[in-house]
Amino acid sequence: MAKSILVVEDEPNIVLSLQFLMKKAGFEVRVARDGEEALAAVEERAPDLMLLDVMIPKRDGYDVCQTVRANPAWAGIYIIMLTAKGREVDREKGIALGANDYVTKPFSTRDLTEKVKQLLDHPA
Amino acid sequence: MGPRLFLILCFAGLGAAALVAVIAGVWLITSALPDGGTELRDIVIVYGGGIACLLVAVIAVLWGYLDHALAQPLSAVVRGIQTVVYANPEHRIEVGESHELGGLPAAVNDLVRKLSQARNTVEDAVARATQSLEQQKNQLAVILQDLSEGVIVCNLNHNILLYNSRALQLLHIAGDIGLDRSLFTFMTRQPILHCLGRLSSRVAEGRHADHPEGLMASFVGASCDGRYILDSRMSLILDPDGTATGYVLTFDDDTEELAALGLRDRLLREATEGLRAPVANLSAAAEILGANPSMDASQQSQFKHVILSESRFLANRLERLSAHYRDIITGHWPMSDIYSGNLFNHVARRLKEQRNVTIVMTGLPQWLHGDSYTLVELLNRMILKVSDLTGATSFDLEALRGDRHVYVDVAWQGPAIPSAALTAWLADRLDEALGGLSLREVLERHRTDIWSLADGGERARLRLPLPQAKRAAAPAEVHRLPPRPEFYDFELLARRQDTGELGTRPLRAITYVVFDTETTGLEPEGGDEMVAIAGVRIVNGRILTGESFERIVDPRRPIPPASIRFHGITDETVRDKPPIQVVLPQFRAFVGNAVLVAHNAAFDLKFLKLKEAECGVEFSMPVLDTLLLSAFLHDYTGKHGLDVVAGRFGIEVHGRHTALGDALAAAGVFLKMIDVLEARGVSTLDEALAAGNAMVETRAKLAGA
Repeated sequence: MAKSILVVEDEPNIVLSLQFLMKKAGFEVRVARDGEEALAAVEERAPDLMLLDVMIPKRDGYDVCQTVRANPAWAGIYIIMLTAKGREVDREKGIALGANDYVTKPFSTRDLTEKVKQLLDHPA
Repeated sequence: MGPRLFLILCFAGLGAAALVAVIAGVWLITSALPDGGTELRDIVIVYGGGIACLLVAVIAVLWGYLDHALAQPLSAVVRGIQTVVYANPEHRIEVGESHELGGLPAAVNDLVRKLSQARNTVEDAVARATQSLEQQKNQLAVILQDLSEGVIVCNLNHNILLYNSRALQLLHIAGDIGLDRSLFTFMTRQPILHCLGRLSSRVAEGRHADHPEGLMASFVGASCDGRYILDSRMSLILDPDGTATGYVLTFDDDTEELAALGLRDRLLREATEGLRAPVANLSAAAEILGANPSMDASQQSQFKHVILSESRFLANRLERLSAHYRDIITGHWPMSDIYSGNLFNHVARRLKEQRNVTIVMTGLPQWLHGDSYTLVELLNRMILKVSDLTGATSFDLEALRGDRHVYVDVAWQGPAIPSAALTAWLADRLDEALGGLSLREVLERHRTDIWSLADGGERARLRLPLPQAKRAAAPAEVHRLPPRPEFYDFELLARRQDTGELGTRPLRAITYVVFDTETTGLEPEGGDEMVAIAGVRIVNGRILTGESFERIVDPRRPIPPASIRFHGITDETVRDKPPIQVVLPQFRAFVGNAVLVAHNAAFDLKFLKLKEAECGVEFSMPVLDTLLLSAFLHDYTGKHGLDVVAGRFGIEVHGRHTALGDALAAAGVFLKMIDVLEARGVSTLDEALAAGNAMVETRAKLAGA
């Protein structure tokens, strides 16, 4: 069965690209537009990987990440954070709160696809 | 009673006594005469009457003379002195020719003359001093007016003593400030009190002598209404005794801000004009591609190339802009190097005033870079919120050195804080000062963020990364000092230490006091004495920085310059300090039931041991030596001086060759060693002691060979 990806992002223009890229790479893709929707989607069916934007409405990406990590049942979900915040300390906060990787916008689509594939095909 | 009245009373008494004596004599004689001796009686009465008159007359004359020659002139002298003192300094005492006061009036006149001369001299001096002071003040005022910085001089009551017009301008005050008015009428109180507190404790602890900023500290000040934020510096004014009498505030001109404004303008221009062209290229190419699906493949790929290269260009440009932008928004904010120990002390003191919250300072203090006042506010509020949310009342504060940051960690017993709650707290504003800066903005100014993590064992922490200090490493001179020679004493370290149950406990579960001494020399048995001793406690694998012991000791002997070179403690430093007989029992009480740890422990221990009897204390607890443990762990090298070992374990040493600095460094080293020792199978106290003892034997053999 295809691995599933949850894209959590409120910006439709980038959702379009992310959805396209991930589908093309052979993954099943669901989209959530804010933090609450994201957690509801995880509750409904845990994805294999989340592409999680930090600046989303209602509950921010850090909050979602921390909540997911607080549930041992969801420990296997990979989380890649996407954000326009490019400081070293932001990256560190993301990793500290449980993200597996942290990608700063703008990013190269090829690199992102590579990262996702690597995590899902060859789990560490 | 005046002298004249006194004289009258005396002589009246004398006259009365003479009369009584004569009358009584006459009465006794007449009553003893046989009856009929009327003739004889008459003679006696007449004779007695005569004598009485004569006596009274003599006494009266005598009184008259003494009154004239002594009592009256004496009163005149008194009145004269009163006149000189209270009315006319030029008045001279006048007494008639015929007095029996000898040289007194002349002597008093001499005295009066001298007094008046002295008074004139003092008045002259005061007048001259006032004049020159006035001159200096005027010169100073002129200099101040010329300065491009705002300057305000205050006493410790914060009354304004002096200011320049630039200060008025920067604070946007129309008219005059008015001398003697409180500074807090114009500037926000908290940052100034905070900065003054920092400087005062720096002076009280004598740290200003080698502090890179000396008597000065930078801070963020603000006008009272919070509208004008000022990049400020405070310098303490010390009198010759070294006591603070006031302070000078200087606030910078706006050149830096203007430069930042210039940069911001340029960036805005780049961001708007500079981005137009690539965006135009991008959108044109995308539109054409979309509108002409039938375009041939080679043309399509040209347009695609345009889209790709322009978007890459935009990404790069954006990266550059945002880097510059971050520098602008944070660059101007005045910050200084802060010692984490001092920062935490302020936090602890504030919390103690506000609420029953205990702060335990742990770990090795670090230097970091920031604005002390806003950081104290931030930590203070965060800790109160955590306490409200989790009910925790005891917090560990620790500074950890990372690769890029110094982490300030606040740890407590209880759950971690949800990210959403933290985000909400950060919207709080520093209400009283600094123009209602929010906590989020304080983080932004320090280019950082804060987050909460759960630790093992039901504990959690807040982590606040802060910039590392900008100051250069400690002066190189200190590092050139040779390490203390290794010191062996079989009796002291290699003796069987009866550890009982304690010996089987894991190293991590034991309470230690890591200590160090500074001495007049290297010969404990040749008359050298301690001049300083310090210790720091390790409990449950945490260094309790807040609970340290530090004393200067009067060695009751001169301190040789050769040793001053190491510890900087001079005869002057130890004056008025307690002797070892006072300090050692205090240190013994501080140690309690803890296990002692020191680097090159035999040396320090020897000094303690030699004083035991004299001070009525005993140090019979187990002692671990980080030098020996280092030799055990790193047997490939012979270099085990504290600097080298600290470097090997990545411990930064602050205050090397002060007893507390060295004790803290040894404590840091010891904690790291416990991990490595465990990995090498040394996990209990007995095992660690045995490892050390084995080293004593080998090294003593080597030394003896």
